[in-house]
Amino acid sequence: MKRQIPLLIVIILGFIFAIHTFVPHKVSADFFDWYQTWIKAISPFMVLLGIMSLTMVHSTKIKRKVPNWQYSVVTLLSLVGTGAVGFIWGTQEGTPFMWLFKNVQMPMGATMFSLLAFYIASAAYKAFRARSAEATVLLVAAMIVMLGQVPIGIKISKWIPEISSWILNVPNLAAKRGIALGVGLGMTATSLKILLGIERTYLGGGD
Amino acid sequence: MAEKKISFYERMQALDRRYIYLVVALAIIIPLLIPFNSKTYVTEPSENIYKKIDSFAGRKDRAVLLSFTHDASTMAELFPMEVSILRHCFERNILVFTICFLPQAKPLMDYALQTAKEGYEVQSGIDYVNFGYKPWAIFVPLLLKMGDDIAEAVETDDEGRIVNNLEIMKEIKNYNEMNLIVDFSGSAAGLRWITYARAKFGANVALGVTAVMAADNYIYLQSGQLTGMLGGLKGAAEYEKLVDVFATHKELDENGILKPAPREFSKEIIKESWIKMSDIKNRQHKTARIGMNAQTVAHIMIIVFIVLGNIGYFVSKRKTEKVS
Repeated sequence: MKRQIPLLIVIILGFIFAIHTFVPHKVSADFFDWYQTWIKAISPFMVLLGIMSLTMVHSTKIKRKVPNWQYSVVTLLSLVGTGAVGFIWGTQEGTPFMWLFKNVQMPMGATMFSLLAFYIASAAYKAFRARSAEATVLLVAAMIVMLGQVPIGIKISKWIPEISSWILNVPNLAAKRGIALGVGLGMTATSLKILLGIERTYLGGGD
Repeated sequence: MAEKKISFYERMQALDRRYIYLVVALAIIIPLLIPFNSKTYVTEPSENIYKKIDSFAGRKDRAVLLSFTHDASTMAELFPMEVSILRHCFERNILVFTICFLPQAKPLMDYALQTAKEGYEVQSGIDYVNFGYKPWAIFVPLLLKMGDDIAEAVETDDEGRIVNNLEIMKEIKNYNEMNLIVDFSGSAAGLRWITYARAKFGANVALGVTAVMAADNYIYLQSGQLTGMLGGLKGAAEYEKLVDVFATHKELDENGILKPAPREFSKEIIKESWIKMSDIKNRQHKTARIGMNAQTVAHIMIIVFIVLGNIGYFVSKRKTEKVS
């Protein structure tokens, strides 16, 4: 029963939503409205689950004094602190919550993403070698696209942005479209397998 | 025993990466602190978004929806796009809605509105409305429901007001009126708008994405499923320029006073226009173009690194081949 009931829910609701997409009947529209009300009511509980999971994972780490457990203290304090200032003073401009966002969250997020520039430069110097014909093509294409993305590219030659655009629009698109079609077909096949109850691994438990 | 002599190229090959990091840091920081003038060349995907939004100017039966689907990590590339599109809307009296489905995006959305509003007398509920944060789980249901009735789907705005009662909604019902959606993200989140709003309701969809995500979306541009796209800091710089050249254009009147004189988009004007950084007083209005200075230097530096690394590689390879 533990596996059959969830399986039945998935199969029945899966077919209902598939039919809803193609049948614009009033019954179908009313069902969708009813579903929307439910999903709005249910979604806050996902946040609650997330908070519970985060608290349990990090409090266990603190209790067991696992390596770097101090970071877990910072995580939990940040969770409680940010939540508290948001609840007490609100989240509008000029509140402590917004101050925390602008002065802690924003610089930290930007720092994480900006690290990419350092890694890319280092990897370009250390690993990007014309070892084979394929690697040379990749290397030349990368240099043209990089120049085509900045104003100096057109200053060097009016052809650089043109070639850069051709690389992005022709070989890049051919590969991307092939991948997209493959992923699309794969998703359709997997969805059908789930709807028909053939694919059950999402239920867990092995088979 | 005599120590083996290491050649210059071998030493270059084994260069400590901390020196590379130092050069990268300087190449990015110096152009940000001392901006220089560089010409921004506007591409067609950016032009198309500008033209579409501008075609709604002064109309009460047309609106743009801006969807914020990113966190602070991608802010450097996406925030200047958001501010310039909002500025365009406020400057040209275009009705604009904002919404987000990620809690991390909510403060960014508020900050973008706050920044763009400076200098404009726009009122929430009349000129724009912030729908606020809606949970991710209801993204697709809400998106589909907006195809029938936006006010009914969204229910309340960020200030808790009933959306249906707001003045801005008088002539706006669904995607027929809110005919352009611009999603800002560093992921594939924007594709949902293409899959549902575009395919089912024929809404125009445009994307503002980080440079790394831009390559993924060219297929939708080519197929016509996307009206336009702003790709990375370059796209943001292009839009900033479009707003400066056309939407916020000023001309001298008979008394010699500078007066706002917005003009229609023209390929000839944009090709010839040259804006000096020092002429733009508000730094927030030129953030992307200043950032492009840093990006230009960083790209050149990476290319130099690739060339140097390869020279070292080939010289060392030849030496090894000679010895063997």
